[in-house]
Amino acid sequence: MAVIVCHGLKGGAGITFVAAHLAMALSEAGAEVTVLTVAKRDTMPLHFGLQPALTLPSLFAPAEDAVLAAGINLRSHLKATEDPDFVPTLLDMGYLDPGQDRVMVIDVPAHEFAFARRVIPHASANLCVLNAAPDTLALLPQVLGEASAENIARTTFAINALDETRRLSRHAAAFIRELVGPRLLGRVRLDESVPEAMAMLQPLARYAPSSAALADVRAIGEALVPALETPGRPWVARGSSGAAAASSRAA
Amino acid sequence: MRIDARNLLDRLGKNEFAYKEFEDRFTELELWPILEALLRDPRLQAIDQAENAAAEPVASAPVETFAAAEPLSSLFSRYDRGPVATNELSSDRRGAQAQDVRAMLRHLSDLGSRGEI
Repeated sequence: MAVIVCHGLKGGAGITFVAAHLAMALSEAGAEVTVLTVAKRDTMPLHFGLQPALTLPSLFAPAEDAVLAAGINLRSHLKATEDPDFVPTLLDMGYLDPGQDRVMVIDVPAHEFAFARRVIPHASANLCVLNAAPDTLALLPQVLGEASAENIARTTFAINALDETRRLSRHAAAFIRELVGPRLLGRVRLDESVPEAMAMLQPLARYAPSSAALADVRAIGEALVPALETPGRPWVARGSSGAAAASSRAA
Repeated sequence: MRIDARNLLDRLGKNEFAYKEFEDRFTELELWPILEALLRDPRLQAIDQAENAAAEPVASAPVETFAAAEPLSSLFSRYDRGPVATNELSSDRRGAQAQDVRAMLRHLSDLGSRGEI
């Protein structure tokens, strides 16, 4: 089973949105996907068109308590960040066993960066969600200074909520692109249909199937599919930068 | 999506719309001070170092990027020389200028004009 960590530098970047749609893309690619949220204040259900009051069942809850949306098993483990045995627990539950048919996407809030650092070495891939904004960019040196070279080398990136009509946003995005090179899997354009879908309590794919953000985030998810081919081993996007190229062509 | 936007896209035969009129023209713009400050920060070199540490066989050809062509560390070293007025550049300095941060922006502009950004 491949574990994919979705994290970010700063709250509000849209990590949960990207994690949800990453799970959907991997599910559409044929994987059996579990989404695990470790956030005590969680909005994951909204991205699947579920009621905001819904509390996701624990990772350890029996199958009859499962919440399935779009064929994806939604789970929570609110004490994961404080649990020193979280990774051994995943191992015991078989989540780190070889096999590309099962995938766990872990949605890690930005402030839980210590937890992300702990899990990333065991993940097949990790995706860092950024905003093309000066306050996010300002955090980059600190984050890179704190992270191990191994974790940085394993990290792929995505820019979310990019407003290409704004000069500063375009420049910040270009800066990120030049900085991380082919490890930038793509960018998701700012799209009002994303919050509208949540307000309508509908999945984005149903509310706005032609959404630009949906097309972009799907392309990023598809770019991560090769990570499933090396479960248990770190995977880094190199070379083709498929989603980024596809996104550029789409623009 | 609003119904009028939906109708417009239907009439255009498109399922999304991108603002092509907002293409970048980096050569006409000043470098944002925050980007310059970031490029001066040696901690950003961790990206280059990690890239080297994780070097693995690559099946496909790498995408051409400024960062790949020249490590960020070489950008920092040029900042150590201090600012140089354009009209006072010697031929050597002109050569150095071609590789400075603004060269990166020109490169970005080229990418933008080719639709790769």
